[in-house]
Amino acid sequence: MPKCDVLVVGGGPAGMAAAVTASQLGLSVEMIEQRRTLGGAFFRQPIEGVRPIPQRASVKARWHKLSADMSRAPVRIHYGCVFLGVDSDGFVLFEDRQVGEVVRCAARAVIIATGAIEKVHPIPGWDRPGVSTAGGLQVMMKETGQAPKGRILLAGNGPLLIAAAAQMAMVGNPPVAIVESGDPMRPGLTGLGLLVAPYLLVEAFGFLRAVYGAGVPWLRGARIEGIEAHAQGLQATVVRRNGERSAFVVDRVGLHEGIRSNDMGLPAIADASTSSPIVIRAGDCSEPLGALAAEADGALAARKVAALLGHGQSRGGEQALLGRLRQAQAVLAKLFAPTIAPLDVPDHTTLCRCEGRTIGDLKNLVAGADLKSGREVKHNGRFSMGSCQGRFCAANTAELMTRLRPGAPPVVASDLTGQRWPLRPVSIAALVAATKVKAPVD
Amino acid sequence: MSSESFFWMGKPIPFRAGESVAAALEAAGILSFGPAPGGGPTRYFCGIGACQCCLVRIDGCVREACLTPACSGARVEELGAADAKV
Ligand SMILES: Cc1cc2nc3c(=O)[nH]c(=O)nc-3n(C[C@H](O)[C@@H](O)[C@H](O)COP(=O)(O)OP(=O)(O)OC[C@H]3O[C@@H](n4cnc5c(N)ncnc54)[C@H](O)[C@@H]3O)c2cc1C
Ligand code: FES
Repeated sequence: MPKCDVLVVGGGPAGMAAAVTASQLGLSVEMIEQRRTLGGAFFRQPIEGVRPIPQRASVKARWHKLSADMSRAPVRIHYGCVFLGVDSDGFVLFEDRQVGEVVRCAARAVIIATGAIEKVHPIPGWDRPGVSTAGGLQVMMKETGQAPKGRILLAGNGPLLIAAAAQMAMVGNPPVAIVESGDPMRPGLTGLGLLVAPYLLVEAFGFLRAVYGAGVPWLRGARIEGIEAHAQGLQATVVRRNGERSAFVVDRVGLHEGIRSNDMGLPAIADASTSSPIVIRAGDCSEPLGALAAEADGALAARKVAALLGHGQSRGGEQALLGRLRQAQAVLAKLFAPTIAPLDVPDHTTLCRCEGRTIGDLKNLVAGADLKSGREVKHNGRFSMGSCQGRFCAANTAELMTRLRPGAPPVVASDLTGQRWPLRPVSIAALVAATKVKAPVD
Repeated sequence: MSSESFFWMGKPIPFRAGESVAAALEAAGILSFGPAPGGGPTRYFCGIGACQCCLVRIDGCVREACLTPACSGARVEELGAADAKV
């Protein structure tokens, strides 16, 4: 049965770099990507005929190089294909949505590059229409070439909020304000640590200039407390460090508390030369360090796979770059450390949206004397049980469980999610029908 | 640029070639995609296929509106509480 050497899952910078490098190292490579275009979150491509949102020359140059390398590499790309998992016989399963069937295919190695997701904290109203992640607004802007309509409030933590605000300003609809729990401008801090990655510093200055130029207030040391329905849209309440409250009436709210790996439900890493298949992760789904690091990590993953498959050792400059970017991320984390304590969140607040479970439901569930495990909270309380696989609630649930039970061992997100495939809901009928093994190489 | 459209709950929604169903619905001012199984409304949230908050029924199949390219003549509908789980 013919099979490919490497199957790459995800066509963002990590997956693309992995595919290009693996094929340069002489391996046969196939890629599956759930969208109809490459680029991932950072390089989300504009649809045909629209003017792309303004980007720095260096970002454009990186995309040109990556996409040119990709189009030259003999990599077969299967678009509209959603990775589901690796079955007990070692076959990769994915749903080919263009054909409407689940495909079972063989690969000697799988490089998983499914990227990151944004962290969002539960606050009243986070589940209302008009409220999304800030990155969600940003990728839609990249796709359509247009700013989201109406009055927008961005709130949460970290540099992505500034980037999104700057891009909105550049396409003509700056947000009404950015609410930031950290305070990177506070005295005694310097961003000089970022000199390890001058690229990030230049980027940050560019974005800040655009934000200030558009007169967008950057409310530092502040948090969003809740979002309510209002006759003219949504009303968001913002609390400052000194306890002062203010209200914003807007059409949209973009929330963002940083990123974490999109690794829920992924098959376990198997990186021995005897593993069948070899499974490794690359880019933000392995360590959330951003697009530049993702690209380097993708190439590194390909080198690792090539060595494991007996195609020889090779070295690039990726390790050193990753080291510098890791340091830069640590500096950013320090710069953006929250300067305002978390706010109390009322019991009626939705914690797990898929299953409609609230903070109060969790409190009731863990109130008893018996110390429930993450698994029990999932199975008895249906937290993290729904179709998103706990991507957006498992960490919040784990954190709240830990806080509610001082003295008990801390709970982490993976206690709730476990390792479970398929990655996405798929009908049992389609899975059963997938007995047909399609060789990915023609 | 095209002037094609699909149907949202029977109503024609114009879209541009390559645009996702979510982007076209949002451009038409439709922010709520109907009731979700958990009770609250379905809507665009993460934009990357991860949160499953934007599930709709497209020509009978449950799909993420943020991932699925709009297609001329498609019937796009609210999930409907009963069919919400695949
Ligand atoms: C919404 C959002 C916006 C962001 N915006 C920025 C930004 O402006 N600037 C910045 O520096 N960083 C941004 N990031 C961080 C981002 O993670 C980048 O660091 C970078 O895109 C990571 O590259 P990657 O290749 O690891 O993952 P991604 O670029 O996320 O690529 C992952 C790819 O895998 C595909 N995929 C995921 N799951 C499956 C599956 N089951 N089956 C098939 N394909 C799948 C996705 O469609 C995607 O194309 C953003 C993140 C998010 C989530
Ligand atoms: S908006 Fe999250 S899956 Fe579509």
